[in-house]
This record gives sequence, structure tokens and C-alpha cells, in this order.
Amino acid sequence: MDTSLFLMGNEAIAYGAARAGAGFACAYPGTPSTEIIETAAGLDGVHAQWCVNEKVALETAVGCSRAGVRTVVAMKHVGLNVAADPLLTLTETGVNGGLVIVVSDDPGMNSSQNEQDTRNYAKFAKIPMLEPSDSQEAYDFVAEAFAISEEFDTPVLLRSSTKLSHGRGVVALRDPIGVERPDYVKDITKHLMVPQWARLRTKFILKRLELLRERSEQTPLNVIQEGTADFGIITSGVVYQYAREAFPEAWFLKLGMSYPMPYRKMADFFERVSQVFVVEELDPFIEEQVRILGLPVVGKETVPADGELDPDIVRAALEPYLDREVPQRRSPVFPPAPRIGEPAPESDLPVRPPVLCPGCRHRSVFTALKRQKLAAMGDIGCYMLGADPPLDALDSSLCMGASIGMMAGFNQALGRKASAAVIGDSTFFHSGITPLISAAYNEADGLVMILDNRTTAMTGHQGHPGSGVHPDLTEGPAMSIQELCDGIHVRCTTIDAKDYPAIVDGIKTEVATPGLGVIVAQAPCALLVKEKNGTVLVDDDRCNLCGLCLNVGCPAIVPEADTVSITDACTGCGLCVEVCRRGALTLSLTGEDS
Amino acid sequence: VNGTTTVSLFGVGGQGILLAASLLAEAAAAEGLEVKASEVHGMAQRGGSVVSTVRFGERVYSPVTHHADYVIATELLEGIRGLRLLSPGGTVVCASTTRIPPGGVLRREESYPDELEKEAAARGVRVVSVDAEALAREAGTLRAVNIALMGAASTVLPFSAESWQTALEKAVPARIFAVNDKAFALGRASVVATA
Repeated sequence: MDTSLFLMGNEAIAYGAARAGAGFACAYPGTPSTEIIETAAGLDGVHAQWCVNEKVALETAVGCSRAGVRTVVAMKHVGLNVAADPLLTLTETGVNGGLVIVVSDDPGMNSSQNEQDTRNYAKFAKIPMLEPSDSQEAYDFVAEAFAISEEFDTPVLLRSSTKLSHGRGVVALRDPIGVERPDYVKDITKHLMVPQWARLRTKFILKRLELLRERSEQTPLNVIQEGTADFGIITSGVVYQYAREAFPEAWFLKLGMSYPMPYRKMADFFERVSQVFVVEELDPFIEEQVRILGLPVVGKETVPADGELDPDIVRAALEPYLDREVPQRRSPVFPPAPRIGEPAPESDLPVRPPVLCPGCRHRSVFTALKRQKLAAMGDIGCYMLGADPPLDALDSSLCMGASIGMMAGFNQALGRKASAAVIGDSTFFHSGITPLISAAYNEADGLVMILDNRTTAMTGHQGHPGSGVHPDLTEGPAMSIQELCDGIHVRCTTIDAKDYPAIVDGIKTEVATPGLGVIVAQAPCALLVKEKNGTVLVDDDRCNLCGLCLNVGCPAIVPEADTVSITDACTGCGLCVEVCRRGALTLSLTGEDS
Repeated sequence: VNGTTTVSLFGVGGQGILLAASLLAEAAAAEGLEVKASEVHGMAQRGGSVVSTVRFGERVYSPVTHHADYVIATELLEGIRGLRLLSPGGTVVCASTTRIPPGGVLRREESYPDELEKEAAARGVRVVSVDAEALAREAGTLRAVNIALMGAASTVLPFSAESWQTALEKAVPARIFAVNDKAFALGRASVVATA
């Protein structure tokens, strides 16, 4: 095949999976992994699905693999926590059709609540880890991942990170790989993990790990690149590109397969250079393996153990150590304390954090909720933006779906309706249903606000059960949250989020009513409808700059010397008009005389 | 350092930084250079600061760096933020009439900075100041600010007019091509006219 494309790492992974004969691809969207499934949905031969969460996605993938189909499942780093339960037993059962789990880490937390180094899961589950360093490798390594998966009867982790997933480079497409689909054969000793069979599979896992280590020694993915200097760098993933740019003269041991590690190749590398560095993002994962061999290495004492790296950071970290005398091995060798990265330098320039969009009607829920003096347990997604000033409407957040459990526990401990949960519709379907059922079962006293915009907005508007939209943009039936709550006998009211007085009344009524209640506030995502009803006019004589309208946190309202002005960004939603007590603001609808 | 040129594009979520970056990447590719680019997704549409980096040269390793040779900014404050990545001799192309005050400024906790020229002079950085909003309006839509600005930037970047035209045809969707093609031409002419 004689075609090249300029692809994002995520797109390259999808193309690589299709080329390797993957018949199924699934995920729950999560930055920076989302585009893998969106791209796969448009490729021949691949059926792509959004699943409600990463655990369900992995379990669905396991079913496809059992049936003999090569399957790729994608998620962001925290998604693998959700999928960890099936993963840690999947390692026992192994696969039938190849199964590749792509995980995108987010060092530096560009769009995440924590940093995690997914390589630890490879060690935890005793499964192989591949780490491509650019778009071409992302494309190529997927095929190798499938081959390893089937040859060694194991799920394979393929780790990306933000700068690979959302970096672009040229990818030379290759001929498709012909894949024979294995038949499904019932075998409960392999597929049904009760203790008697699982004990045997544990022994299989340990044997498999040593066979994989031999593969790691032999694979061209783990390569020694000769340099002109007398020092060498062991590295993996996109960090290889940073280190290579910073030190083109260095020797490299580039680990495309970073678990299990090639101990002999590592030892050989030490024979060929006089000084060795390990350069890796986040945890000292490779470094610890080197230290197991008792070899002297410089790593996390100078390469920051948090945040993203880049060529400049790598250069600055290693330069002070170059030509420093290498300590001879003594026993014991204590690992150094990791260096903590310097915080970003203070800037005198105003920061510009993301904000709830102009015209987002869910702003009304935050505005109304603040009047009730409740603690607000937040959740993941756009509605985290309700925490920012001037809304300042959230107290806490943790992980996907955590708001409802936190609310129930908080109110239980204080013996009253002291908090509300605030969760979006996609997050509710992801992992909010079971805590709601648990709260109902335990007769919790509390309020759950479900802000329903009928999409997974923050990751770029992917479908979910409440919209019925699939990755290929076809539509199935949409599920009703109201009916779901009715079905489990939880008191639920659905309110139009555009109706601010109704939202205020609904919340007031619910707070005054004992027991557990849900309010579904419905309004479509402002970015999707892009409706411009009109704009808001200001009566400068009436406005006394009291700040009530500014407190709704709309970027279209700008304070002036003794009044406010309204920018072009105004969609004419009218929330500011509703909160103004002096009648200084009026809604001018498009088409009306102003 | 190694013959790799770095261009960082700064703007506000929703201003079309991704399209501008992909136009630039296509132009570099049309010149036969290796290109790598890095994009910010997720929060990109929510009005926050957005940075996208495009790097090109004979051989490009990292998709990102902490410095830039050129900064292209679709908003004044972001232009000032961006020019701090430049070394003396660098160039910032800025839509300097576009001011989008961030929340802290709206709440009067911070003030909107004004000193693009002054700060650029202090750093030995060349400024190409563009009224991209006026050019985009002239082309037919305010949404074309990004491409009008790229037209201006095309006069300082080392690519041929043919490469830019190829890139426009590849990067800009057909549906919005005509207006963006015009905005690009107006942007390009605006710099030549003032030079």
C-alpha cells in the first residue's frame, strides 16, 4: 500500500487496529483517548460501540474475544481503574481472538483529576505493555499487540499519553493483515474462574510472564540505538522523542515493550556505555527494574516524577549529571528520593481557565442551588466548571459517579439533608445508577441534581444511552432518566432548565421534603444547539452594578464603570434577566423591535 | 538547535486554533518537510486558553518544546502570553485588536494587559500586528479570524504561496472554503501592504 496520512496518535491506533483485522472496538469516551473509537467507527470491517463505562467496555471486549474476534478497547488512565476488576481476572482466562487494551495517560493533567502511570497495571496484571513513541509506531504496534495477544494468550496493554494521542505525524499505511478467526470452544478450566481452575491459571500466568520476557529480549521493539557519546538513555513512549531531540549524540535503549523488561538487553546496554540515565514520565517504572539488576543509574533524582516532560526539561535534568563519576556498586543501594517538578512559574498575566459556555442553561441549576446553603458534591465533566468563580457552587469532586455516594454518606453522618449531588447525564449512566439505588435502599435523605444535556459534552459530544446516538452517528432509542427513577421508586421530577423559576421552586420543594429525591434538569448542550434567541439590553439608568447578573458567571456579561455591557457571545438565554432585581436587563428576541 | 522550526498557536477555546494549526501543518507538508503537531482537546471549546504546536524540518523528533520560533495568536492577551516562548529574533503574529477578557478581568480582580509592543521590544521580538477581525468581516464572517490571521502569518513563514494554497484546499472543509480562502488572501495582502 502506497499511502501516507497525517494522523493523530489516536487515529493511527484506530487505523492500525483495522489493518490488523480488528472486528470490534469499544470505549467510554475520555480525554485524551476519545478519538480512537470515533475514528474506528468510520473504518471498514470494524464495528464501534460506546459502552456506558470502561468496565462494561472491557467486559464487552472480552465477550467478542471469546467469540474469536480481534478486539480493541480504549480508555483514559482513570478508566482502567473502573475496568480493573475484569482486567485482573481476564489475565487468568486469556483470550481467543486478540484483545488489545489502549490506555491514554494524561501526565500534567491536561484534562484529568489525577496522574497515573498505567505501566503499573501491566506489572499488577502480569501482562505485556507496548509503548509507541509516535503516530507511525502507534499504527504499527497495534498489529504487534494483537500478534502477542494471540501467541501468548494474554490481553495486551498499549499505552499512549496526551502528547502521543493528540500529536500528529505522518503514517505510512501498510497492507492489511489477513486474520483467521478462531472458533469458540467451551472450556470452563480456562474461561470460568472458580478457585479450582483459577489456581491453575495463576501458574499459567507466571509461566507466560517468563515467555513474554524472552519475547521482550528478542523483539525489535526493544532496540539499542548506537550514539557517538559515551552515555546512554533508557526510555519509552513519546518521551523517547523528547530525549532523542535533547541528546541526539546519546546511545538509546528504546523500550517499545516496556513490560516485562528485557533484563539481558538492559545489562548489555550498560556494557556499551559508561553512564546510563532513565528518562520516563511519571513513575520510576523502568528505573526500578534497572535497580533490581543492581546497576547504577540516574533517573528520578533529576527527572521530575510528576507532570509532562519535554525536550527542554529532559536536557536541563540530565546536563548537570553528565560526566559525573559513576558510583561503583555497593550494597545496599538505596533508591533516591524522587525529584518533584517545579510548579509552573507565576505569571503576571491573567489566567484563562475554561468556563461554562454562554447560553448553557445548566448555569441556572448552580445559581438556584447556591441559594439553598447545601454542600454540593460534584462529579466529572462540564459541570465541574460550576466550581469556578463567580459561581463557586461545588464543594467536592472525586471520580466518575462519586457525587451520589458522597452525598448519601455526608447526609447520613450529619443526620440531615446537608448536601446535594450534582451529576451530568452521561456520568449518571456511567456510574451514577448503582449509588442511587444504594442511597434509595439505605433510605438516604438527599437531593440528586442530574444535569441532562443529552450528550457526553466535555469529551466532544459522544452519544450515550440517554441520546441513543452511536459512534457512527446512527441513532437508536433514547433512555429516559425519569422512567429509570420511576422504575426503582425514587422520587423524581423532570424540569426544563430554561425555566429558572421552576428550577428554583423545584429545588426549594425538594429540599423541604424528607427522603431521597432526584431532579432532572433538562436543556440541550449550548454548543450543540448554538441557538441565538436574541440578546440582552441594558438600561444604564436602572443598573447599579449590584453584581447579581455577574454572579451567574456568564462570559458575555462585562462590567463597565457603573453599569454592565453585553458582548456578541450572548445567546439570549435570559438567565441574567431573571436574576436582575432592578429591571435593568431586558431580553430582545431576534426578529422583535428593540 | 537541530533545524527544527517550532510554531506555537495561541488562542481562546472556540476561535479555531485547531483548524489554523492543521492549515500550517499541511503547508509544511506541501513543502516536503517532516511535520509533527500537538493539539489540546477536551476543554478546547470551553473558552479557556488553547495552545497548539506545529514543528517542521528535515527530521522532527518531539511534537512539543518549551520554546518557539514563531507565535501566532488569535487574541491579544494570548499573544502576550505566547511571545514569552520566543527568543530574541522570534516573531509574533497577533490579532491585536481582538480582546477577550477572561473571568478574572471581568470580575475586576486582574487587569487586561496592553503592552504587546513594549514587551516584544524588550525581548527583541518582531511583532506583526493584524486587525484580523476587520479582515474576517470583510471576507464575510467573523469566524474566519483564524484564517485571516494565518494569511498574515504566511508572509513571515518560509513557505511558498503554492504550498499555502495546497494547504488551504486540504485543511479547510469545502463548505466553508470560499470565505476562508478570501480571508486568507486578505490577511496575506494586509501585511504586504503595510511592509
